[in-house]
Amino acid sequence: MWSVFTDIMARFTTYIVLFSILIAGCEINQKDVLPEDGFVKIYNHPEEILSFYPESVMELQGGGYLHISAVKDETSDIEYPYTYLVRTSATGEVEWTRTYDWLAPSSRLIQQNNQIGFVAMNQQFHAFAIMIDPGTGDISEQHSLDMTMPLYTFTDTQGNLVVLGYDFVTRSSWISKYNSSFTLQRTTMLSINTDLEYLIQRHLNKTGQDFPFYIGEYSNASGAGYYVNCFYNYTLRTVFMDISSLNATGDIYSFQIEEGISSTIQKTGSLFGLTSYYEGNNYILPEVEIDVTTSQNIKDLPGDPLYELTFKACVITGELSNDATDNTLFISQTNTNSIVIYQYEMESDSLVRTLYRNFDERVEVADFIQTGDNGIAILAGIHILGKYQRPLLVKIPGDQFLPEEE
Amino acid sequence: MTKPKLIFIVAGLILLIQASIAQKTSFLDHLRIGFGAGANGAHIIDLEPYNVYEDLTGETYKNSYSGLLQNIGNQYFVQAEWFNDYIIIAMKPGTYTYRFSKINEVVFTNETVEQVTPYLLRYLSVPIEVRYNLDFLRFRPYAGINATYSHLLGSHDASNQTFIRPKISAGAVAGTYIDLRYIILDVNVGYHAGVHNIASKPDRFETGSGSTFAQNDILLNDLQVSLSILFSLQKQKHYSNVECFY
Repeated sequence: MWSVFTDIMARFTTYIVLFSILIAGCEINQKDVLPEDGFVKIYNHPEEILSFYPESVMELQGGGYLHISAVKDETSDIEYPYTYLVRTSATGEVEWTRTYDWLAPSSRLIQQNNQIGFVAMNQQFHAFAIMIDPGTGDISEQHSLDMTMPLYTFTDTQGNLVVLGYDFVTRSSWISKYNSSFTLQRTTMLSINTDLEYLIQRHLNKTGQDFPFYIGEYSNASGAGYYVNCFYNYTLRTVFMDISSLNATGDIYSFQIEEGISSTIQKTGSLFGLTSYYEGNNYILPEVEIDVTTSQNIKDLPGDPLYELTFKACVITGELSNDATDNTLFISQTNTNSIVIYQYEMESDSLVRTLYRNFDERVEVADFIQTGDNGIAILAGIHILGKYQRPLLVKIPGDQFLPEEE
Repeated sequence: MTKPKLIFIVAGLILLIQASIAQKTSFLDHLRIGFGAGANGAHIIDLEPYNVYEDLTGETYKNSYSGLLQNIGNQYFVQAEWFNDYIIIAMKPGTYTYRFSKINEVVFTNETVEQVTPYLLRYLSVPIEVRYNLDFLRFRPYAGINATYSHLLGSHDASNQTFIRPKISAGAVAGTYIDLRYIILDVNVGYHAGVHNIASKPDRFETGSGSTFAQNDILLNDLQVSLSILFSLQKQKHYSNVECFY
């Protein structure tokens, strides 16, 4: 019997060796991929009457994410959405959720003195900065911002808070700057010259057009300043403002409020990256020279059409730096229910790659951040079953943005 | 070199060696070749769940795979065997197709929705079986062990990219040969256990154009029933039908 066995073994040794080589070369070992490197999470609430409008996401020190949404309750007597905060683990699992009576939370989440906060309004439209303990979600402080109808919140590199609001008395866009203690430093009113209160209300209560209000910071030979996308002088404009005086120095204007710039990022010096929409199409200007001291028509800036994006698409623009390169990311959604990421080199207008994440149902991007592992986390809204709007968090690992090996 | 190319080269090498060995008459006398087909039931073992849905109120949603009896696939293969009085070594390279579904539940106050994502995984497999058989003349029952290397074939179904290409399994087989003098039937039943996770960890959320879901870490086990027709290159034994019934 043993001789039979040895005979067989000798005859099939070749096969066994070849088989072993084959096994050794295959991709079975996947131990280097961690669950937190990349994931997709859809956060469902069983109440059909609720609609979630995601606003902002933040990665926490020590791992995990906080994301904030405005939630509309069909049955509520208050027409404005309330605030819903979700704390997740590093792999996107829910750890706790909190709701707040503060209305229409405006992008973005802010971080001051080991506290996380957001800006929202009360029922009288007065804006407040609400600070919470990121461990429990308990409100630790609240500060009146002495402005109305907050539309966007931005924290600059010095830790100052810049808030865009709307003053329905003077019919003006209202830009205020606060220090890290929420003390008002300076405020500016940009007169719209027409009453847009109804449109602003519909923007805030999620029943009308979602206008691309945002604030960013730039610095070049002309000085340092902010760019603020807001209503000004009858139109939706990108207004460049001096960082100290908040005086408008220049702007990019469009036709009334039907056209506009949907996102802006400073690349270097006077070179900016923009996306815009006009005449029914979306356009991208990955690198364009802009004089922040003059007024320019959006149509004088040549753009490449992005036909795949949804009508008047929301585009989130930001920087992604890794060990190899600095990049500019333009993130939006397509007509085919995909989140699309256009990755451009920071130093040029070269498109490095286009990434798509496909979904069954309609998606709408809201925010993205670079994570500690040089990946990105995208917060979006998704219509589960095509009906119920819920938050969606997509984590994409950093290796997907590295230069391809030759 | 790509992995499919490597596999074809290795398979070619095996056939070349096989052919050179087959030059020996004594080896030919102990060789049977044929073909077979059968049905299988995929038995999915969940190693670690990854649900794409998180409930904001703390509920847990069902996140599972369909059962063995719902997962009927098939296999087609050629069969080559070397045998002596007790031991048979069989190779059954061919296409092995497995079907199963992922079931995700989403709960709402007034409705609970089950999202079912079906998969069809077609593998090019090379199973090797070592069988010990007993000779009861016309019937020769056997039992043995099996080891299989498989490679997932390409598919237009985007959801298939959530799986890695290779698959290795091992298991037990049992069955019987039925000697019909000019042909030999091989009725074979086997249970094969996957020895590793087949979900692609970096691509588990690459749901493509299909249902939105996350692939769990899973083992693909299967229960196979096959029928093969073999032709012996050996001189026929002396227990023909006529002799048996005398």
